[in-house]
Amino acid sequence: MPTPRRSIAIIQRPFPRIVLTSLWFGLLSLPLMMELQAPFFGLGRPLLVSAGVAVASLLRLAVSQRGGPGAERFQRLMGAIGGAGRDLVGQMNRRVLYVVALASAVVIPLGLNRYHIDILTQVGIYVTLALGLNIVVGLAGLLDLGYVAFYAVGAYTYGLLSTRVGLSFWEVLPLGGLLAAIFGVLLGIPVLRLRGDYLAIVTLGFGEMIRITLNNWDSVTRGPNGILGIARPKMLGFTFSTPIQYYYLILAIVLLTIFVVDRLNRSRIGRAWTAMRDDEVAAEAMGINLMRTKLLAFGLGATWAGFAGVFFAGKMTFISPESFTFFESVIIVCMVVLGGMGSVLGVILGASMLVILPEMMRQFALYRMLIFGGAMVVMMVLRPQGLIASSRRGIALGPKDRQGSASAAVTSFR
Amino acid sequence: MRRSWMWRVITGAIVVLGLGDVPEASAIKLGMAGPLTGDQGAIGQQLKNGTIIAVEEWNAKGGVLGRKIEIVWGDDQHDPKQAVAVANKFLNEGVSGVIGHFNSSCSIPASTIYHEGKVVQITPGSTNPQLTERGLWNVFRTIGRDDQQGVVAADFIAKKLKKSKVAVLHDKTTYGQGLADESVKALEKAKIKPVYYAGITQGDKDYRPVLTALKQKSPEVLFYGGIYPEAILLTKQMRELGMKTVFVSGDGVWQKEYIDIAGKDAEGAYVTFTPDQAKIKEAQGFIKKHKEKFGEDVGAYTVYSYVAANILLDAIAATKSTDGPKLADHIRKTKWNTALGPIQFDKKGDVLVSPFVVWEVKDGKFVEVK
Amino acid sequence: MLLQQLINGLTLGSVYALIALGYTMVYGIIELINFAHGEIYMLGAYMGIITFGLLTTLHLTSPTSGATLLIMMVMAMLFCSACGVTIERLAYRPLRGASRLSPLISALGVSIFLQNFVMLAQGPRDRGFPHLFAGEGIDLFGSRISAIQIFIMATSVLMMVALQLLVHRTKIGKAMRATAQDMQMASLVGIDVDRVISATFLIGSALAGVAGVMVGMYYGLINFFIGYIAGIKAFTAAVLGGIGNIPGAMLGGLLLGLIEALGAGYISSEYKDVFAFAILVVVLIFRPSGLLGKDISRRV
Repeated sequence: MPTPRRSIAIIQRPFPRIVLTSLWFGLLSLPLMMELQAPFFGLGRPLLVSAGVAVASLLRLAVSQRGGPGAERFQRLMGAIGGAGRDLVGQMNRRVLYVVALASAVVIPLGLNRYHIDILTQVGIYVTLALGLNIVVGLAGLLDLGYVAFYAVGAYTYGLLSTRVGLSFWEVLPLGGLLAAIFGVLLGIPVLRLRGDYLAIVTLGFGEMIRITLNNWDSVTRGPNGILGIARPKMLGFTFSTPIQYYYLILAIVLLTIFVVDRLNRSRIGRAWTAMRDDEVAAEAMGINLMRTKLLAFGLGATWAGFAGVFFAGKMTFISPESFTFFESVIIVCMVVLGGMGSVLGVILGASMLVILPEMMRQFALYRMLIFGGAMVVMMVLRPQGLIASSRRGIALGPKDRQGSASAAVTSFR
Repeated sequence: MRRSWMWRVITGAIVVLGLGDVPEASAIKLGMAGPLTGDQGAIGQQLKNGTIIAVEEWNAKGGVLGRKIEIVWGDDQHDPKQAVAVANKFLNEGVSGVIGHFNSSCSIPASTIYHEGKVVQITPGSTNPQLTERGLWNVFRTIGRDDQQGVVAADFIAKKLKKSKVAVLHDKTTYGQGLADESVKALEKAKIKPVYYAGITQGDKDYRPVLTALKQKSPEVLFYGGIYPEAILLTKQMRELGMKTVFVSGDGVWQKEYIDIAGKDAEGAYVTFTPDQAKIKEAQGFIKKHKEKFGEDVGAYTVYSYVAANILLDAIAATKSTDGPKLADHIRKTKWNTALGPIQFDKKGDVLVSPFVVWEVKDGKFVEVK
Repeated sequence: MLLQQLINGLTLGSVYALIALGYTMVYGIIELINFAHGEIYMLGAYMGIITFGLLTTLHLTSPTSGATLLIMMVMAMLFCSACGVTIERLAYRPLRGASRLSPLISALGVSIFLQNFVMLAQGPRDRGFPHLFAGEGIDLFGSRISAIQIFIMATSVLMMVALQLLVHRTKIGKAMRATAQDMQMASLVGIDVDRVISATFLIGSALAGVAGVMVGMYYGLINFFIGYIAGIKAFTAAVLGGIGNIPGAMLGGLLLGLIEALGAGYISSEYKDVFAFAILVVVLIFRPSGLLGKDISRRV
């Protein structure tokens, strides 16, 4: 795209630009931050903002050396990190790598305290969720903003069946997944014809509908009070109760999920999903049954949320509608996008980051979420394709692309 | 290969910096957990302030057991899973007691963890009965239960106001709905059946549709279970619709903003709350200090947190230990004189008799009704 | 009661419509669900209070003065436009070439940032909006319609008409339509796409700012979180009417308001949002591009 003409020449030069930018931000923050009663109208704080922006801009200038090659350098660095990830994976013996990763996942937590183990368990839950959503958003390209609904279905299934019927964790686990899958298909049916962002709003609505129903259907779900006294998972007479035990349980679930999702990724249905994501019309022209493919995506994607939900209920032993908000759905979407849609490793990294970073930032107390929001913007601006871009999204094609899927072939002829 | 090493080093550094904590050896730590940020941040701030004042008072007198008191903050953003993380973090840091959480959905899962870690938890805001019904020895609450508060309001409506056409609304939260339901129960005991009962959504601004529907039943009183933002909106919108219905609500509405923002529409409203703290000896310093330090009056929940912190610190001083079970025993046995008046805990951890009285909004101020 | 509910619904809907207009404009051009739009609306409301405070300190206010209200709205519009354009430059423009989801996440980050910024700068407690034009109204067949309600409905309609005129009768409007149709072609034809997009954000944010002031006036109470729900509702309204379509946003907003009011009044207050979403789904099943949306026929 041609670069537009800059109408004001002074903005071209870096230092005046920095001054103007800092003043601008100071001006913008002035109304919100000034206090009429304070001395000097409380202008100190907006000035701080100006100063902060100036410093940041100067830093950026210094790093990027006249604003051209530096930005590229940073991109290359990030690309190198992502590439290093992939190269590392490719160059080393895969088996060795997997063993090392697995061994660390098993051994490292033994040396950590309960707070850290709990965080890792949370990471496990969100990895499961993100991998499930990855099927819907990353592979099939269907923007689902209501994924938390299936999570809730899984959790409440176990909550209800455990407290009212007395079923055990293992009995409900497949049921939870199945029920979530059914809900997934139910969601899929009315949205089959919807495009992109219409789909988004309906899925959002679906998520909200589930949450509101859970909050109001007092007779069944006990409304805002939630369900208490959910049984912990038991196995051969042994009850999961300490953090490390729960961690190993979720680790097992995560490994299973990775295995299945990876298989799906490489299978025919996986390729059908990416074909559909890249171009629905072309995919249909090649014989892919759009309806079946979409419904499968929704259903299979939802299943993992169901499993995660059952585990969540078993871990907390108490669930309430407050855990299943729209914001949760959004965070899971973030994990998928940030990680790099479609790539399993990327999604795992994205999930880990979005769980661990806010926890790490607890020392910043009130500023935690502010920094989090800012960090999200910065991360996306600096690396829009996510940490580890899926190697299958073939735009720049070449002999390096090993996968060589159908969609890539179509792209090269355009 | 060089780049991937650098990556590992960076990641490692981040992990170490992030996860490493250096605990202070000699201070006694109290955990204070609640929704410190997010949409319920205003309430979190009240709870914070109460604890801050209590701890400052104690530290000014030399701390407890000769050691300084340090507050460890835990922001759960009314999210149960964050509450669990906070609970684990508190245990990790070796807190001797916890003031928190606010939301029942957070207190309940957290209490299990505190139970495992043998740490006493006193919640200044969770009203779900299930919290204490489980019989965990380490859980207490300074806030009254909904059934205690609902009775006061219902009695007032039936006997003092002598009105019989009552409509009931609630905000679909544990507190709001709990309070509304208990009030309905108490009203029905007094042979008053509500003419309208519905839940509203927190965060919505416009309750005119519900109020219009409610207006059709010509209620004389509207009882609302919920907190002040929605109460303000309900009150204002009622008056705008031309309704002269009397507004009655619970302690979540006893908040200066209610009068400030609802203005003259709030005149004549009734709110149940603890007795006037200005008259309680133990509360005198508290109110003044709060005004001095924070520049504003105490909020509805500040005092519960203040009292909880004081009870914990008192127990530590009295038992000369920070051992959870010992503290819990002491707390249960003692008759406490607090800024809320005299309170005593029952076996489950609830306050035996929660003192609630009715206040009226008169001439732009909350005035206790005799 | 029906008339009163209709008044309630139409007023509520007008508010949704105003915010939805901004959403739909931005979406029409760059296909971005601007999560941060709700926060701009919130900023407008705060700006109203701050302007009022400033005027009070300078002894320039009066509760029934139209001038006060006008100044508040103008300041809110200016401030919100400035913020909107800045946000676009910072958070969305760099992502224009990337996948559609990246700007979405960026928008979300902006939304979180703004919410927390205002929470830290202005405090987490609810703030009262100055009482302007309070209590004035007329009685109509047993229902009450207040001055503010009339004002809100009138302003919405006015804004929509103005916007339509802008988009269809001016040069910049033409440029906007061209960019919405095909960004690449538009730039090839010589349209400064960056300028057009900035203008879009400017206008959309200004509208949100006005909505903020009006909502503040109407409800009397604001806090840093009001943008969140308003954003979701406005987005729903925009989709209902056909996203990218200006009269559609108006229609969607009004409809949504009516559905909520009638649903809450006649059916169930607790489930009114479920009801609204259900209707949305039904509408979309029969008209997948929204009520007035263009039927996107895929050229094969």
